[in-house]
Parts: sequence; structure tokens; C-alpha cells
Amino acid sequence: MSKIDERSVWEKIADQLRSRSMWMLHYCTGCGAVELPPSMTSRFDMERLGMGPMATPRQADIFLITGYLSAKTLRRVIYTYEKMADPKYVIGFGSCTINGGIYYDSYSTINRLDYYIPVDLYIAGCMPRPEAILNAFNQLMEMIRKGEANGWKRYKENYEWYKQNQLRSLGEVIVHDEFHE
Amino acid sequence: MTSFTNNIQEFFERLKTLYNVELSEIDSKQFKIIAEPDKILPLLAYLKEIGYSHLSILTCVDWIEQKKFELVYILFNWSNGITFLVSTFIDRDKPVFYTVKDMWPTAEYYERDVHEFFGVEFEGNENCKKPMILELWNDLPPLRKDFDPLKYSKEHYPDREYEKDAIHEARIVRGDIRGDVNG
Repeated sequence: MSKIDERSVWEKIADQLRSRSMWMLHYCTGCGAVELPPSMTSRFDMERLGMGPMATPRQADIFLITGYLSAKTLRRVIYTYEKMADPKYVIGFGSCTINGGIYYDSYSTINRLDYYIPVDLYIAGCMPRPEAILNAFNQLMEMIRKGEANGWKRYKENYEWYKQNQLRSLGEVIVHDEFHE
Repeated sequence: MTSFTNNIQEFFERLKTLYNVELSEIDSKQFKIIAEPDKILPLLAYLKEIGYSHLSILTCVDWIEQKKFELVYILFNWSNGITFLVSTFIDRDKPVFYTVKDMWPTAEYYERDVHEFFGVEFEGNENCKKPMILELWNDLPPLRKDFDPLKYSKEHYPDREYEKDAIHEARIVRGDIRGDVNG
């Protein structure tokens, strides 16, 4: 068992509780966001899993990358991910986050999300249906209870590797635009 | 203001004599007007004055074989529902044109967009060169036809490497499952 998987008793208890009250950051990067309203509302009702949308990264536990991710959005995603408090979990939606999907040859969308931020779980499909999303949420809860969803620890441990990859694709992570300066 | 709408043919004749344009009909509600670059500003001002006041979009087409950029101004008239596609061809090697942001303030952003994706400069639009959508772009403008997006993507955004799964491929060859062996 490596150091990253080690948990104290308290952490094990905390993980049990964490998995039952996950707040999802309401930030949608691509077309997959359209599958979230049916997952949230009465038919699939995400809230029965203890999940709900949350407005700010400081309060959120899960970060959904819903679909294609452009280089411009990736800068904001990295900002947001680093703002989120530990523990934090990332789910990659759809084939675009896995291997680029139909945007594999696009000049502005990334091809592989886990190269830039650690991803705990991928949902395949273009787009994944709400059933798949609910299934993934259940799976993520199970992973948190077992201590397998430790992307946030990996990010700390391999920070240089992630930073170097981010800089390779983006040139600079810091956002320079007329609204920030 | 709308006297010409009943008699569109007469209006077209007037446009031809005044601005020396080529006209073609796309359908009963859409018409394409091709004008010389130096006639575009007076033509747009005239069309705006007579009711075609809504600039839906300003966009650009790259005709690489003719070495031209086609700028297309799409104007819409709210009183009769007619759309005009006013287009002009400018030199691809020296793509400089005039801004229309004083006529339509919204055009400032369309012009920045066209500048970013095609490299057309708009004289009079000082913000034209600020980055808007692509940040820190250091290559050819990406919607030009001579830009290779796949090559750029391969250079900048690493792909996932897949391991070869011999058993899976053998099952495809045997016909157990459908799939592509070389995929």
C-alpha cells in the first residue's frame, strides 16, 4: 500500500460522511451540461444521493468537466480546481475529455483531461445519458468510501508534472484578458 | 421608408445603378449583394438608412484559390423580414478593411472575431488587435484554409496513448464482437 492510499481511522469515517454529502460545482464547460438538468430534477433526482449544485468553488466537492474543454476554458478550470478545498473530486464527462472525441483535431480543445488535472472517474459516451451519470455518481461514492478517489492527493504529489503539462499546452496559465486587467 | 418593399425589383435596379452591385436571389426572403470594397461603406449606410438596420453578423470566408477574403455583412430588416448578405472581396495577402463600428457598435466584436480567426485588420477599430477568444495565440489565424488544425492539435495537446489489446483484436477477427482492428 503506497503512502497515498493510507488513511487514518478518522479519515475513513470522514470519507464515509463525505461520500454522502457531495456538492457539485455548477460550472459547465461543454455540451454535456445539457444532461445535468435531467439528472438534477425529479426524474433522476441527484439530491437523493446527497448531491446538489453549488455556486462557488470554495464550497464545492465535485467538479464536473462536462464535455469538450477549450484551451481558454482550461485556464479557468485550473484556476477553479486549485481554488476548491480538499478533498475534491473530478469527473470527466464524455469522450471529449477522454481522447478528444469528435474534436480530436481541433486547434483549441484539449485531447486528454487527466494530463492537466487528476481525474477520478470518466464517463464514456457522447453524451452520457443521465442513467450513466447517476451510475457514475454511485461509483464515485463507492470509490470515496474505499479511499480510491484520491486525485487531489495525486495533484499535490505530482504538482510539477501537472504544471509542466499545463504550461506545455497553454503557454501560460495566468489569465490575461480585458476583464481581468 | 418601406415603399420599395412592394417592388423589390425596382429597388434592385436602383441599387445596381447607384452602387454597381451584383445581385442574386437565394430565396424569396434572402438576397446576396456583391459590391466592390470601396462601395461597401456607402452601400451599408444606405441600407441601414432604409430599414436594413440589424447587423446579424459580420463574418469572413477564405477563398484561398482566388487569393481573396470574402467579408459578409448580414443585414436584416425587421419590418419586412428580408435578409441581405452584403459581401465584398478583399486581397488575401494584404487583408485590410474599414471598420463599421460607428454604424453598428456591435460590429466591434465581430471585427475582433474576424481579425482573430482570419487575420483581417479593420482600420479604425483600435481594439481589433486585442485577443478575445484565442488567448496567447502564436500561429496562423486558425480559420484560414492553409492552417492545419490536426498538426497544431498534435503539437500542443498530447493525445492518449492506447495499449494494443491482442485478445480484443483476435475476438474481432474471429467475429465474436464487432469492431475495427486497426482503430
